[in-house]
Amino acid sequence: MEKKSLTFKVFVYSFLSLFAIVNVFPLFWMVVDSFKTEQEYAANPFSFPKILQFSNYSKAWEVANMSTYFVNSIIITFVSLIVTVLLGALAAYFLARFQFKLRGFTYALFLLGMLVPIHATLIPIFMIMKEINLLDTHLSLILPYTAFHLSLTVFILEGFMRGFPKDLEESGVMDGAGVFRIFWSIILPITRPALATVIILNFIYNWNEYLFALVLLSSSALKTLPLGLSNFVGVETASLTLQMAAITIALIPILIFYLLLQKQLVNGMTAGSVKG
Amino acid sequence: MHTLKGTKYAIFFGLLPALIIYLGIAVVPIGMSAYYSVMNWDGIQPMAFVGIDNYTEIFKDDIFWMTVKNNVFIMLTGIVGQIPAGLFLALLLNRKMRGAGFFRTIGFLPVVISSVMVSLIWGMVYNTEYGMLNSILSSIGLESWRQNWLGDTSWSLISISITYIWQNCGLFMVIFLAALQNIPTEVNEAAELDGATGFKKSMLITIPMIRGTILVTAVYSISNSFRVFDLIQIMTGGGPAHVTEVMTIYMYNNAFMNMRFGYGSAVSVLILLFSLIVVSIVNRVAKEKDA
Repeated sequence: MEKKSLTFKVFVYSFLSLFAIVNVFPLFWMVVDSFKTEQEYAANPFSFPKILQFSNYSKAWEVANMSTYFVNSIIITFVSLIVTVLLGALAAYFLARFQFKLRGFTYALFLLGMLVPIHATLIPIFMIMKEINLLDTHLSLILPYTAFHLSLTVFILEGFMRGFPKDLEESGVMDGAGVFRIFWSIILPITRPALATVIILNFIYNWNEYLFALVLLSSSALKTLPLGLSNFVGVETASLTLQMAAITIALIPILIFYLLLQKQLVNGMTAGSVKG
Repeated sequence: MHTLKGTKYAIFFGLLPALIIYLGIAVVPIGMSAYYSVMNWDGIQPMAFVGIDNYTEIFKDDIFWMTVKNNVFIMLTGIVGQIPAGLFLALLLNRKMRGAGFFRTIGFLPVVISSVMVSLIWGMVYNTEYGMLNSILSSIGLESWRQNWLGDTSWSLISISITYIWQNCGLFMVIFLAALQNIPTEVNEAAELDGATGFKKSMLITIPMIRGTILVTAVYSISNSFRVFDLIQIMTGGGPAHVTEVMTIYMYNNAFMNMRFGYGSAVSVLILLFSLIVVSIVNRVAKEKDA
């Protein structure tokens, strides 16, 4: 291995660098230009700004209603996440640790959800939400986000819980703990690594979701970040630098989240993507 | 397995909440879609049973066949662009080298950003007047190569495919990297003792070892390509002249813009069928090759 020629090394690094540049440059270009005046940008999209126009940011924050969208996204993302993980963990626990007649069927049913494109359910969900008067509420997104991510959540958690030794629950039984007590105090704590994966995946999926939000929400006071942002860019076509500032604002939290948790995130995504 | 008292009820009540939400919002609607698909319905007036009329109308619609063609284009460019590129990058990174972590971090970044943001950013990259792509072309003297990347009928679908590949390449890279790292080191050592190195080792030893992963990613890439919506909806809305329209957009437009919920449901049933059929074909072909 040590004898690898220099030309090979040069090839590897130049190829990877090119790849890295292609991946980062659009983002970098946008962030740089978000600090320019409109005139500067029109004159030359590749120059660096003479003075950093932080006012683009304050203006974008105001005009684009960013604070509203952030609050909505946070509420919807976290409520769905908590409900999905709690209910999913509970279901996974019974599927992984108990034998009963419909176990295999129920498990297969949960996995089915990973094969179904959400588009095949969009119209009925819209009708259901309309029927039960939930259209255009936070709950109209929380329910589908929970329902659709239960599959992956159950899949990952069940696989993890199944690996625990069989006598794990015995001490709990000795102490007279019931099944739910055992779930909460014994199973859940040792499932922590898989829970972390599932929480991260749910966060990313919920935070980024667009189609359900597009169909199920109409009032701008309820819009989530992706929906609000795409609307803003569609309306505010006059100022590109303002658009760039708004997108950069939305990019920052996800960037921080990624850099902090990248290892778990990558592992989770690779586990989560292999879902047929 | 357990002799806990009342376990039966516990199982029932433990599974119930998840099952109710899951069945009610993710499973029952599939059946409802099938039911709506044989109805003529605007969502307000009473439904009228029309049998397979929606389907025959869809199959007669040239725009629908265009969306199918576009889906196939995105599927093929996705497979050809994402899998070999991801595999190649993974092979390059699967060695002890400085900066491997850095390249992996950067490579995976687009996967984490929402499709909406990717579309908005790339919409600006492709912008005719001030976009990055045209500006680069001008600045290196290729003025004549400037295009209206998203507005020109001969370029728009290609432009979208490039963004689609850009967005997902990193995911395939890390999936392959994970698979490569699972290959036992003895295999690599044995191969090297036999004189297989570099390119030869990759083609003869490494790639066949992760054949299973390659198959799974192919299936994943295919089913993903039938779900593309955000990217196109935001960058072009399916235009110009339907040249970038895919089945999901066709479904959305018919149902939610034209208020034809029966017709839209028929399209969504077809989306489900198409993706299941293609996935099962790939599975079968792969199995035959193995046998």
